[in-house]
Amino acid sequence: MKKISDTIKERPWLGWVLYLVTIILVFLVGLFGSSILERRSESNILVQTVKPINDPEPRNDIWGENYPREFETYLQTKDTNFASKHAGSHTIDMLARYPDLVVMWAGYAFSREYNQSRGHFYAINDIRKTLRTDVPQPATCWTCKSTDVPRMMQKLGAAAFYHTPWNEMGPEIVNPIGCQDCHDPKTLNLRITRPALIEAFQRQGKDITKSTHNEMRSLVCAQCHVEYYFKGKEEKYLTFPWDKGSIVDSIEKYYDETDFTDWVHALSRTPMLKAQHPDYELFQVGIHFQRGLSCADCHMPYKSVGGVKFTDHHVQSPLNNIANSCQVCHRESEAELTKNVYERQDKLFELEGIATNLIVKAHIEAKTAWNNGATEEQMKPILKLIRHAQWRFDFVAASHGGSFHAPLECARIVGTSIQKAEEARLLLSGLLIKLNVKLPVQMPDISTKEKAQKFLGLEMDKLYTSKMQFIKTILPQWDSIALKRQGFLFKYY
Amino acid sequence: MKFGFFLPPRKWLVPVIIAMGVFTGLVLLILHIGKAGSYLSDNPETCINCHVMFPQYSSWQHSSHGRFTVCNDCHVPHNNIVNKFLFKAMDGLRHSTIFTLRLEPQVIHIKKAGQEVVNENCERCHENQIMMMELYRNQEEEEENELLCWECHRENPHGRVSSLSSFPYQQVPKLSPIIPEWLK
Repeated sequence: MKKISDTIKERPWLGWVLYLVTIILVFLVGLFGSSILERRSESNILVQTVKPINDPEPRNDIWGENYPREFETYLQTKDTNFASKHAGSHTIDMLARYPDLVVMWAGYAFSREYNQSRGHFYAINDIRKTLRTDVPQPATCWTCKSTDVPRMMQKLGAAAFYHTPWNEMGPEIVNPIGCQDCHDPKTLNLRITRPALIEAFQRQGKDITKSTHNEMRSLVCAQCHVEYYFKGKEEKYLTFPWDKGSIVDSIEKYYDETDFTDWVHALSRTPMLKAQHPDYELFQVGIHFQRGLSCADCHMPYKSVGGVKFTDHHVQSPLNNIANSCQVCHRESEAELTKNVYERQDKLFELEGIATNLIVKAHIEAKTAWNNGATEEQMKPILKLIRHAQWRFDFVAASHGGSFHAPLECARIVGTSIQKAEEARLLLSGLLIKLNVKLPVQMPDISTKEKAQKFLGLEMDKLYTSKMQFIKTILPQWDSIALKRQGFLFKYY
Repeated sequence: MKFGFFLPPRKWLVPVIIAMGVFTGLVLLILHIGKAGSYLSDNPETCINCHVMFPQYSSWQHSSHGRFTVCNDCHVPHNNIVNKFLFKAMDGLRHSTIFTLRLEPQVIHIKKAGQEVVNENCERCHENQIMMMELYRNQEEEEENELLCWECHRENPHGRVSSLSSFPYQQVPKLSPIIPEWLK
């Protein structure tokens, strides 16, 4: 047997063949490598924009030129025709439906007007027109209303943005919650644009950029659908009170220890807390979160139109789209699933009704005690109970869908609210007897919103007139400044 | 032919070792950028090493199966480990060849062998729900006319839409970078 080198020595062309074969082999291996690299890079250019989008780009209609399906479904948040048993996409005058609320918020702008919210489409329109923005408010109130907020925060910095008065910022804020609040314009990846959430994570030692895509499908919502407060009398810095945890008890402890008060109740003089909408907090203690679902799974499910599947940007109650949300996992009929939801809501509303009734009585009895010479000392433990009772009730009542997201936790919270209100009233009876007040204390007639507002001495006609004045004179000015800046003003009404 | 035939003369040993080393290194590099190691795992992200699988990944992730199963739970046999890896290797080699040669069709359909495996896996988990179906089927139908689960459950789990261009702007996990962190 000859060695290959000997064979080559005999027939030199074989050496050339070996040389060429090796070249071809290495060339092919290299080519294969390049092919893999090229196909890898294809996966990075799947996002193709017809017109490149700036960062920031607050105009949702500009995004819509590139992403017509997503934009069209987003515009469907304009629809106000859906009504479920307790809520829906239309305006509900909550004060008219539950007049007790007027008394519970005495001395606070919520007692003037409080409506069931409509879709994202109306975010600007509704905050401009509510009576609650007639009192001097900081620009912090705009934070969750508009795609113009990231733009202005880039320009001014978050702290300076919050510090500006609400109406000074008016002309700058015209595009309602939309594309760039959740999406990066270059990659379309989900992103967090509101500093409050990032800061809340940092204070807990967590890095929000490490979140998975599925977590982000909830966290983009958690930029706004959470409990928050404005920190500092002057700064009004938007802050999430999660440092001790995000369940109702931990947040209550946080507020107590930082001595935070939203307002002092006009009747009972209680240092009150107003719960915002702790949707993400309550969702986290519910079964759907614990089984790995995200907000988008039910509120923005996949939708197919003409052979294309995409995320439905008509963010809404899943009850209006049971087939694409619930029934992806649950095989029961629409009627059955709706019934299951209503059952949970009904039971919670029953408890909430008991709580409001007791809390209103506690406020009025506390006022009676003050009127009959009760001292700060005597009232202190009572007011603390009232503060906690109403905070806990509000934590559930103000959440959107809390009674479905976490029915058990909500029942526990309202349960403790009732217990605290009862305890406050027990202490109050003792005190009132001591003060020689005849029991039971006479309750005013607050059976309608009008009667309740009259009882508080609110001059609603005056408020409406001045609001109409604002709508007629100031809003057109804001819009014309915005029109000059943007060139085109999409009509969100 | 003996192995000695391939051995170079002693004085060529060093250059040949180096040349072989270069070639082996090149092949290892290819294995690295092709993420060859990932194919041994059950990780669903492995299947989107090739971007043609993005629609399947997205539709799975948005479905009820997205929370409790991974691709391999359904798409490779689970009767024994040899079968599992044999099937995976055969399927994988075919897929990679087609992908490299750019022969992937616009709409990807599952092959017969794959259908059988998936159907068996449906039955593996959903046994309790299909007992009555089984009883009925054995009496009424021949084995070869067997219905597949998704001929009725058509949306499960990927839906009826499956073209490459049917899922614009899917948000799927990114490929891990080739270049290590310390070299960046």
